[in-house]
Amino acid sequence: MAPVTSQDQVLEEEVSYVRILSLNRPKQLNALSFQMVTRLLELFLRYEHNSNVKLVIVKSIGRAFSAGGDVLGVVRAVKQGGWRLGAKFFYDEFILNYLMATYTKPQISILNGIVMGGGCGVSMHGRFRVATENSVFAMPETALSLFPDVGASYFLSRLPGFFGEYLALTGARLDGAEMLACGLATHFVPSSRLSLLEETLCKVDSSDPTIVSTIIDKFSQQPYLKDHSAYHRKDVIDKCFSHRTVEEILSSLERENIDRPDAWISATIELLKKASPISLKITLRSMREGRLQGVGQCLIREYRMVCHVLRGEVSKDFFEGSRAILIDKDKNPKWEPSKLELISDNMVDQYLSKVSDEEWEDLKLPARSNLPSFAIAKL
Amino acid sequence: MDRALERTKILSNHLVQSSSRQILSTNACLSYSPPELAEAFDFDVKEMRQLLDGHNVQDRDWLFNLIMQSRLFNPTKRGEKVFVTPDFNLTKEMQREITMKRIDYLLDRGVFQGWLTAKGSQAELKKIALQEVSAIFDHSLSIKIGVHFFLWGSAILFFGTKRHHDKWLGDTENYVVKGCFAMTELGHGSNVRGIETVTRYDSSTGEFVINTPCESAQKYWIGGAANHATHTIVFSQLEIDGKNQGVHAFICQIRDADGNICPNIRIADCGHKIGLNGVDNGRIWFDNVRIPRENLLNSVADVSPDGQYLSSIKDPDQRFAAFLAPLTSGRVIIASSAVYSAKVGLAIAIRYSLSRRAFSVKPNEPEVMLLDYPSHQRRLLPLLAKTYAMSSAANYLKMIYVNRTPQSIKTIHVVSSAFKAIHTWHNMRTLQECREACGGQGLKTENHIGHFKGEFDVQSTFEGDNNVLMQQVSKALHSEYIAAQRKNKPFQGFGLEHMNKPCPVIPSQLTSSTLRSSQFQMDAFCLRERDLLSRFVAEVSQFQAKGQTKEIAFMQSYQLAEDLGRAFSDRTILQIFIEAEATVSTGSLKNVIGLLRSMYALICLEEDAAFLRYGYLSMDNAAAVRKEVMKLCSELRPHALALVSSFGIPDAFLSPIAFDWIDANSWSSVHQ
Repeated sequence: MAPVTSQDQVLEEEVSYVRILSLNRPKQLNALSFQMVTRLLELFLRYEHNSNVKLVIVKSIGRAFSAGGDVLGVVRAVKQGGWRLGAKFFYDEFILNYLMATYTKPQISILNGIVMGGGCGVSMHGRFRVATENSVFAMPETALSLFPDVGASYFLSRLPGFFGEYLALTGARLDGAEMLACGLATHFVPSSRLSLLEETLCKVDSSDPTIVSTIIDKFSQQPYLKDHSAYHRKDVIDKCFSHRTVEEILSSLERENIDRPDAWISATIELLKKASPISLKITLRSMREGRLQGVGQCLIREYRMVCHVLRGEVSKDFFEGSRAILIDKDKNPKWEPSKLELISDNMVDQYLSKVSDEEWEDLKLPARSNLPSFAIAKL
Repeated sequence: MDRALERTKILSNHLVQSSSRQILSTNACLSYSPPELAEAFDFDVKEMRQLLDGHNVQDRDWLFNLIMQSRLFNPTKRGEKVFVTPDFNLTKEMQREITMKRIDYLLDRGVFQGWLTAKGSQAELKKIALQEVSAIFDHSLSIKIGVHFFLWGSAILFFGTKRHHDKWLGDTENYVVKGCFAMTELGHGSNVRGIETVTRYDSSTGEFVINTPCESAQKYWIGGAANHATHTIVFSQLEIDGKNQGVHAFICQIRDADGNICPNIRIADCGHKIGLNGVDNGRIWFDNVRIPRENLLNSVADVSPDGQYLSSIKDPDQRFAAFLAPLTSGRVIIASSAVYSAKVGLAIAIRYSLSRRAFSVKPNEPEVMLLDYPSHQRRLLPLLAKTYAMSSAANYLKMIYVNRTPQSIKTIHVVSSAFKAIHTWHNMRTLQECREACGGQGLKTENHIGHFKGEFDVQSTFEGDNNVLMQQVSKALHSEYIAAQRKNKPFQGFGLEHMNKPCPVIPSQLTSSTLRSSQFQMDAFCLRERDLLSRFVAEVSQFQAKGQTKEIAFMQSYQLAEDLGRAFSDRTILQIFIEAEATVSTGSLKNVIGLLRSMYALICLEEDAAFLRYGYLSMDNAAAVRKEVMKLCSELRPHALALVSSFGIPDAFLSPIAFDWIDANSWSSVHQ
């Protein structure tokens, strides 16, 4: 069998002014590999300078859009070659995220399946996000003892109220209708209409977002938001997840559960209790800072954080999480520090500090120019 | 002149040469270029913010988050950016209601938890930090919160005793009661001891009877009184058996839980104001209102059930001083929030000046960025440096306030009086300059700066008129001088220790490196202060020698008093700023702070005529200072964006002209 090259992992299609990129690692649920990231980066950069490219569509082969970054690959890389090898993956991935967030041409992502972690990173920053009845969204990093990265502290923190904190801390899943309701998706198109949508988009000869939007609108429909959707619980979410600390968030949920016991709140509490304590703490801090920062600053901070996670100075939970969830699959991680109360502000501060290593550098954002106002507003 | 020549050339070209197509061709449309993409960040902005905010950075961010994520704070999309802002089209009554609703929301989110019931300096700093953030959103919001917690709440805390604490503090923190603070009257503001409200004790019922004897005794400007407050602190003369025991404070209910005004209370509105219309300032008349004896706030004096006046402090002057001492907190917070207002103004004006261009130097060249004009730098960058210095001074003031001891009360009183006046004057001046620097855009309310002028103007008047406060500063220095002289002891305290050393000498030739040395800068500031203080003391004693009273002598010497007040404030600020600089480790951050410190010192030397008037600087010296200011402007220019980014004010709290103002004003954003 021929070796899988990066060309195979991202398929490229050229139809007049449109480029269609398909994530193609279906067996791994299109988990983003280092090769995929490099390839996407190369293609996006090339298209930016090509005046014959007006639109970029990103979609996927198989039933997942992308289940995330290739965490297993990163863990292996770190174990074999040290933390810097793992950091390299995130570096390039975040540069790609930044490029997409500040892209001069509309990116349309067709999210017809699972979209999680790194998969969100290559779609949520783009101009248009099309959900379908097959979409499943989540940023489940806290269960692995990572934290929502790939610019999530930018795009999640900008959701209404404190829904972003809810998604980031619990890793809760959303369907397509919920994605549309909270703004993670810009459109909802039934999967049966996707090929027709794509065909119509391929006739576009302009980068004008209003033209693109009008076209997607024609295929869109207003999906039914299920009765037990978390989005109907926005009041409780705002009340509890707006608290200043993770401990306060948890205790307010527990109080709520006593006052008005309910399965959804219990499940939410369970999710938080299962997650790595250090991971919850740094996630909340990241969200709170991210809401006040531009996308570039968010990615620079997240890169610092991810380097600290990989170095494992404060906690080695990331490796324990990967072991328990991805490798041994015993789903029984032993977190260290084991309790929220054992984590000081100082420990959280460390994740945001520069890495004390002579060779280490902050994420260096590529120079951008001629940006559309959509992108300027994110700086 | 060059410009006139150029215009003539263009015109003549236009008339003479028919082939001047190049000049007539239309330029390409302007496009907004974000300053972030062009300007370098030479130092760590987060580290600088930590230094500026000084404390509770995460708590501040939390409150910013809470405000941004609620519809109550009127999030408004302008172009692709969302701003939170008070709705400027609301009527006075609607502004008051929405302000109260915002407070209810913050209460519900736990923002005020511990504001009166938690003890210690950490709790106090947290409360001040959150208060500062609320003022960045809207001054009305912060004042409405401030009246309830820092006036009504603090009065109970400081003037009251356990019975008052137990009964009121918890309910205040939860807004079960809404408090106001009735001190000022129509006829008396700064002169609290002259107020005319009278309270007598009726031993037959064990009640106090509060009365407004004449129209000038009506309580005036009472924030919260017009609509919302249920209770007030009443300041009143206390008369026992026909003898006036001076001003005392009482708790009096003015509305019932349903908001109906209580019997024997009359309340009227103060009407529309030039700012702060979200605060319901009212007027109160008391028609022999009866309150229980326990409602006297009795920390320094009490009345026994049978009507005996009891006080551990016999001297009424000292009693009054002890009584009012805790009210310093108001001045501390005003001084620090004035700095934050100036930060908002500068962040907006400087960001605008980094994206707005006007006039080309040569035809067909791009127009020049506003902040690349040396004159524009000279308008904004010295104010930026002063804001940095005052920010550091405000932090110092907060620290000595929250760590206060009986020994430091006097220093806190003098320093807070000085900084309250200097900082709020600086804010108003900064806002005016920033407003003008933004041209027509500065006139739009949505761009905050012009609006802030009206909103923050009151700061120079409330909690002590600035001029009166500065006179108090000079008087305090005067008595220090007299005391040191009389006891023949060295100066100690108020930073006056430099008076014990030999008089500093200013070199006749000032090189750039001398001008930038903190030693020279302190020398110049100390020289001015010591000389003005001796001149002031001499002038006052001259008047006294001619048989004038001390009071008249102070009045006559007002010119020196003013100069001295400023000299003391500037020197104190510089000293604090130098100390703050010393805590930063060597590197790019320290270098920039050094530039700011030099700019602060030199602009003070340039602006205060006292340096030339009394000959502390020669004319040559003054010319050298002036030249150095220009050089410092050009050296600070590359850091301008980083310096305003370090203020840590989220984009949503700035305004459209601070960002993509073309997009914010585009046709497509008209109906957003």
